[in-house]
Amino acid sequence: MVVRTKGARCRNRAIFIRKFPKNKKENMAASTTSSFPTSQEGVATSSQQNLDAITDDDFEYVDEEFVLSHSAEQQAQPEPMIPDLFKQPSLVKDDLITATSQLQDQTVEHCLPFLTGEDGPLDLNDYGLPKLNRDKHIKFLKQSLGPLPGRFVAVDASRPWYLYWCLSGLTMMGEDVSSYRDSVIETARTMQNESGGFGGGHGQTSHLATTYAVILAIALVGGEEAYDVIDKKAMWKWLCSLKQPDGGFQVCVGGEEDIRGAYIAAVIITLLDLPLDLTPESPAYDGRSNLLTGLAEYVRSCQTFEGGISSQPNNEAHGAYAFCALACLAILDNPRRIIPSYLDVPRLVSWLSYRQYAPEGGFSGRTNKLVDGCYSHWAGGCFPLIEASLSPSGPGSEKHKTATGLAAAPESLYSREGLIRYILCCCQDQTKRGGLRDKPYKMSDPYHTNYVLSGLSSAQHQWDLDSDPLPLPNGDTTPSLAAVGADSVWNVFPYIDENDQIYEDSDRVRPIHPAYAIPQKNVNAIRAYFQGRSGFASTLGEE
Amino acid sequence: MPSKGKAATKPKATETPATTTSNPTTTNTTSQTASQPSEPTTVLERSQQRFEKTRPFEAARRQQGLSRLSKEDQKGWICDQLLHLTNRLPAASRSCLLGPKASKEIWWTVNGTNSIVRGLKHKPEPYTTWGTDRNGHDVGSYTIERFDERFRQRIALTALQVSSRVFRENVEREKRGFVDARSGREIIVTEREIDEEKVRRSKMAALKKDLYGAITGKLAESVEWEDVVPIPHEEPEGALAAITYPAEYAEAMSYLRAVMTTKEYSPRCLRLTEHIIAMNPAHYTVWLYRAANIFALGISIPDEIEWLNEVALANLKNYQIWHHRHLLVEHYYPTISSDPDALAQFAKQERDFLIAILSEDTKNYHVWSYRSWLVGKLGMWEDEEELKSIEKMIDEDVRNNSAWSHRFVLVFSNPKYATPGKAATEKDEKVPQELVDREVKYAQNKVYLAPQNQSPWNYMRGVLVKGGQPLASVQGFVEEFVNKLGEGEEEEEVKSTHALDLLAEIYAEKKENEKADLCLRRLAEKWDKIRGGYWEWRRKCLTQSEREKAPGEQVEKAEEGIAAA
Repeated sequence: MVVRTKGARCRNRAIFIRKFPKNKKENMAASTTSSFPTSQEGVATSSQQNLDAITDDDFEYVDEEFVLSHSAEQQAQPEPMIPDLFKQPSLVKDDLITATSQLQDQTVEHCLPFLTGEDGPLDLNDYGLPKLNRDKHIKFLKQSLGPLPGRFVAVDASRPWYLYWCLSGLTMMGEDVSSYRDSVIETARTMQNESGGFGGGHGQTSHLATTYAVILAIALVGGEEAYDVIDKKAMWKWLCSLKQPDGGFQVCVGGEEDIRGAYIAAVIITLLDLPLDLTPESPAYDGRSNLLTGLAEYVRSCQTFEGGISSQPNNEAHGAYAFCALACLAILDNPRRIIPSYLDVPRLVSWLSYRQYAPEGGFSGRTNKLVDGCYSHWAGGCFPLIEASLSPSGPGSEKHKTATGLAAAPESLYSREGLIRYILCCCQDQTKRGGLRDKPYKMSDPYHTNYVLSGLSSAQHQWDLDSDPLPLPNGDTTPSLAAVGADSVWNVFPYIDENDQIYEDSDRVRPIHPAYAIPQKNVNAIRAYFQGRSGFASTLGEE
Repeated sequence: MPSKGKAATKPKATETPATTTSNPTTTNTTSQTASQPSEPTTVLERSQQRFEKTRPFEAARRQQGLSRLSKEDQKGWICDQLLHLTNRLPAASRSCLLGPKASKEIWWTVNGTNSIVRGLKHKPEPYTTWGTDRNGHDVGSYTIERFDERFRQRIALTALQVSSRVFRENVEREKRGFVDARSGREIIVTEREIDEEKVRRSKMAALKKDLYGAITGKLAESVEWEDVVPIPHEEPEGALAAITYPAEYAEAMSYLRAVMTTKEYSPRCLRLTEHIIAMNPAHYTVWLYRAANIFALGISIPDEIEWLNEVALANLKNYQIWHHRHLLVEHYYPTISSDPDALAQFAKQERDFLIAILSEDTKNYHVWSYRSWLVGKLGMWEDEEELKSIEKMIDEDVRNNSAWSHRFVLVFSNPKYATPGKAATEKDEKVPQELVDREVKYAQNKVYLAPQNQSPWNYMRGVLVKGGQPLASVQGFVEEFVNKLGEGEEEEEVKSTHALDLLAEIYAEKKENEKADLCLRRLAEKWDKIRGGYWEWRRKCLTQSEREKAPGEQVEKAEEGIAAA
């Protein structure tokens, strides 16, 4: 392997210019080419100056335009250390061409130049990776929280998501978001309905997805004043009205029942410490059931023959729902016990592992679909939970139904390097716009920015479940869900690769809780606040 | 702008009234000369000057106060007022205000003062006369040049909108394969036209942004909505991710909030939901409210479905549409459930539409979810056509995993073969052998087409597990795709990594752990390196299961060891 000094930079590359001035196009290409071999530093600055000299108004928006310039000294420069796995199309390939294979080939074709450093930014480290463009991504997210132009009407029902995606992304990148507290409070108030829950905006019906986003945004900014916005009692009544006899939850009154509902309900119930009793008005009320009855069984019914999880029973396995299923179970009980009790773990691990593609390195959402940055979280984020469920119990712990015959997960069940390469090379929008994206040639957006960063965070950290399942009350054989999530203690460490770390230390983002998808301290703070307020539970009897 | 036109013609028609020059001169000449001939700088000023020209007495009174005016001017002012008052009344009731004698006198005076009979009625005021622009500024405060520019922009926007509409209609025609009646050729939208439209759109967007922000809406002007008091969007100043709503959307949402609050269900509400859906099809609240309206009003479900089909085709990625359809079918089903013909007819109709929409977007998750639900709802398990149409899709793209998943559900979730409560990856005794054989055969034939395609592999494995068959029953088939494993880099041939994966499982099942381990090792080392961690784990599982398999034996051996010692 070629050993390279830290300061060495690969120059055998293309200069990446996305936004390109209409009239200056030719001049510029010429100037960069001619000045290129003389001085490496000089090139960087001169092209930089060129770019700076051009005002925004001069630009014709040319997405992904590259000007190639080759150095005469290219042979002298050492190659960056990129394993062949990420530089070449996969070894085994079929001849038959169908719509699916065409799209797949095209995606590989688009990604390879970014992965090999042929396209993309100038600054690459010894491993061929660009830096995380933190400043630009922060600016992008902050802008997305600001006033949005009229064409954003299409996301009018998803505004709470914007709060969560942006605040969560900023938090992971190390920004202090508590300054947004007042505006989150004000914004959340207009979204809350008297009948419980939060909708997408003023006058919109309460929905579990938007409620999840608002509660997480509130937890992210923190503070009692923010927590107090939530009308806990109304929330509890509303959740009861969504609970279905088969154990699942509708996403809104009259809406669809799916596994998102199951996960979000588990998040809300535990973060707000809601009572589990059902109101007599609840569709699931039968005098015996509570809010969590049959929830894990519902999750189980969503596992498909492929091993993955679908949105509802009898649908296709899909990455986003795999995360919902695992996170829901991990909230309900200790993952070591509950995940093998309700899911076919070997099949699930197999399906999850197959979500990662080479050479792209990223994850896809379904069999034979394309990689997409957001699955860095939805599929990639499943691994800490799966690894926890496979981790051996501490000595002397109660013998429970862990996956029999299944070994503990190795250091890393998936290729962290592959995912990190995909994220840093392919998912960063290197233009002035910033933000992270699905794949090359797609626009960045807050959704992808947040979930790509979540995936990066999970790839950079190691989560250990530092608690064994508590003994089940009354000698039950299956979890009774009596002590919801109470016994799971998670510890997080930076993941240290036994080989070299391929990214810079400064590109580490902060860890987030593997099930709640916000930092652990925010989870603890909001839970502590609501657990400390038992006043509401005692008034229940009066209902 | 009617007032503008009027004002423009009037001053020419009449001489500048003598009074304006004669009377106020006594008080302040300077202001006269300053205000009168100076060129107007703003639109409002121009309007005001026009007003003053046509209403000299009123202008003088405003400047100086009624008491400061000369007797003559006061008289003129009174006549002017009365004249405009009577002018506003219907002709028949004019005589009620003034008797014939008084009227005569007024007219006499008017003639004498050379006053303008048809002067401008209202004094132009800031904001109200010319309205506000997108920033809430008074358009009246614009300079004449800027105002003319705005006017030109509006003309330009209208022209662009007309062209854009023509373009969109052509796109629609192309989609439906229309033939131009005159040329007899099919309508084709060229790349150039698309590029032109892109330019046009951006120009339109820029113009709209420039011009509007506070246009008065259609609903507010409509008689139909007169009785509704809209609830405007309420949001504090610094709200996060606040959207600058286009006026039309903001207005429609205000009316929606109002009718939803009063729980009104009416045809006009239905139209309102359609209006909003056209602007924002992802608005779940509106869809739910629309469904409520349809059920409350007893609207024909087939009619609604027909409308929905068009919306669905225009918004392929939208999923609120599919839940709406779900609700409609839930509602409709009881009315046809007892009539097998109607049921079959409806099932066919739905399938035809699903086939059409899936041909546009072959893996649309929400469409497939709906389809799978529909099979259960309408009991289409044994429907030959359903299976055929899935086979057709698999033939078109053997890698379409959504189609494979649907097939699995169609075959194995059939209540005839499915025990309730069984997990998908669990064996089910109710599944007959011939069904397993048929499906395994089907999957194997598809594997031959493209051995590295995972869909049929997953399908086959799923079928074997469901049917309770050992994986080893397909060992011969699987081995066709792997040659000379472990016999050297050059010799070894793997046509499908999925075959190698399954082979490892088959060997493990047969307790041939060394062979299984070799498969996994070769996957990790060469054939599927990206899953190195996973293959390593599988290898660990092999040894683990070996240890767990015979814990008793191990203990015995250990005891033997102790005894021997």
